[in-house]
Amino acid sequence: MFSNMIIGRYMPGDSWIHRLDARTKLVLSIAFIFVVFFANNVIGYALAGAFTLLAIMMTGLGVGVFLRGLRPLVLLMFITTLLQLFFVQTGDVLVHWAFIKITTDGVINSVIVFVRFMLIIMFSTILTLTTQPLAVADGMESLLKPFKKFGLPVSELALMLSIALRFVPTLMDEAQSIMNAQRARGVRFNEGSLMARIKSFVPLLIPLFVNAIKRAIELGDAMEARGYRGGDQRTKYRVLTWHTRDTIAIIGFLIFTVALIATRWMM
Amino acid sequence: MAINFDQVGFTYQPNTPFATPGLHDVSFEIPEGKFTAVIGHTGSGKSTMVQHLDGLVLPTTGKVTMGDQVVTAETKLKELNEMRAHIGLVFQFPEAQLFEQTVLKDVMFGPKNFGASEEDAQAAAEAALKKVAISPDLYERSPFELSGGQMRRVAIAGVIAMEPDLLILDEPTAGLDPQGQRELMTLFTDLQKERHITVVLITHQMEYVAQYADHVVVFEHGTVVKSGSPTTIFADEEWLHEKQLDVPAAKQFADALAEKGIQLHNVLDIDQLADQLAARLNGEVDHV
Repeated sequence: MFSNMIIGRYMPGDSWIHRLDARTKLVLSIAFIFVVFFANNVIGYALAGAFTLLAIMMTGLGVGVFLRGLRPLVLLMFITTLLQLFFVQTGDVLVHWAFIKITTDGVINSVIVFVRFMLIIMFSTILTLTTQPLAVADGMESLLKPFKKFGLPVSELALMLSIALRFVPTLMDEAQSIMNAQRARGVRFNEGSLMARIKSFVPLLIPLFVNAIKRAIELGDAMEARGYRGGDQRTKYRVLTWHTRDTIAIIGFLIFTVALIATRWMM
Repeated sequence: MAINFDQVGFTYQPNTPFATPGLHDVSFEIPEGKFTAVIGHTGSGKSTMVQHLDGLVLPTTGKVTMGDQVVTAETKLKELNEMRAHIGLVFQFPEAQLFEQTVLKDVMFGPKNFGASEEDAQAAAEAALKKVAISPDLYERSPFELSGGQMRRVAIAGVIAMEPDLLILDEPTAGLDPQGQRELMTLFTDLQKERHITVVLITHQMEYVAQYADHVVVFEHGTVVKSGSPTTIFADEEWLHEKQLDVPAAKQFADALAEKGIQLHNVLDIDQLADQLAARLNGEVDHV
């Protein structure tokens, strides 16, 4: 049941984008979400679309992989688009039938929402598909470092994040095998009434929680036995290094941002 | 329940970038009412095959015949649920599946899911718990308060309580102490003889294969490379080493003796070894 999720999975490769520093990719992914909102006309969205497409091509993974990744979110995108279409009531009326009223503003808004959704999801998928989870955690830690002065426990947060990421596949495997074991004992997942479905997850969730707690105790013991005493004064095995390509990526993104803002005055 | 695999192939996550082949061209038979052992190197497809036996996954190609039920890629979920009522599946580290408030309730869970009444389920649960030697004063305890070995036995009782015609054991003794291992294996063989059920055991321990199995199936790289009696399988030591498997210790010892000029026949387990050595000491030398 978890097998078709592309979002959050790493796909190994050796493209220019794969080799970028995790920090660069993190910052650019977040920046992109804000920058997209500068686009306010067709040219702006075309530019943002072209930039996203270029970045996707550069990962060398193929556009198909990214489109498949959208599949779990199609319903959400569809619903938001429809809400925009039916509930925006300003502008010229295009269709007026019984209580349904579709207006020009509604159509424009729903298209904008759809395109923004697509762009943001596609662009942030680049980060997760091309960066190893542990590199993301390292990048986060490095980026959050300045907040240490304000009392944010950065190394603890980074540790939690990297442990959590490390155990996602383990817990997924475990969930799958507990599910199989309970199905063999006659549990029917995803069958029957809503109440029956909710109840059927109890034999999955309780063992999953219990095992997670056991695992946490064992991991804590193992860490202490290996001399872990907390975040400060630790040295790092994986050191992030900044390359020329990261500077190039940042400059490329800045040029794109300026161009996108410029499109606001083009129509 | 006799089981027949006919040209079964299985791919994990088909039609995705993560597609990985699990099984290909798997054809073999599990004889009814017998003890069948499945061996093979780690990652050879044994556990994937086990999931086919309970309809937890459906073959991508080919078909599995289990008694009257034929399972193919198109088989409906409803038929599988009916089939599962007759199959007991003990996964690796089954203690991870316990969840109820009390030991007794957890063991009753399986029978109740397959339609047994409260009383019948309780009777079946108590009988199963007795079989695995869990004393009645533990029945009302939480399964999470028990020791690891006890949890394992409660989990196995939960499967036995379903009174399956086919019992599948995926390394049931992994991680137990020697005595616990012996007790469990005795339990399984007794159960098989008493109820004449079919038992399938996946194991890395060649001693079990030699001692208990009537039939052996060898897996390698997602397919069956050989099946037959333990004697035929263990006859070719070279071949087994190629498959990263081994012969039982008793046979290794007999082979070492053979090198020193003491020829014994058909030695697979310690009893056979002792019997033949005793016969020899008594002067009954057979002529080679």
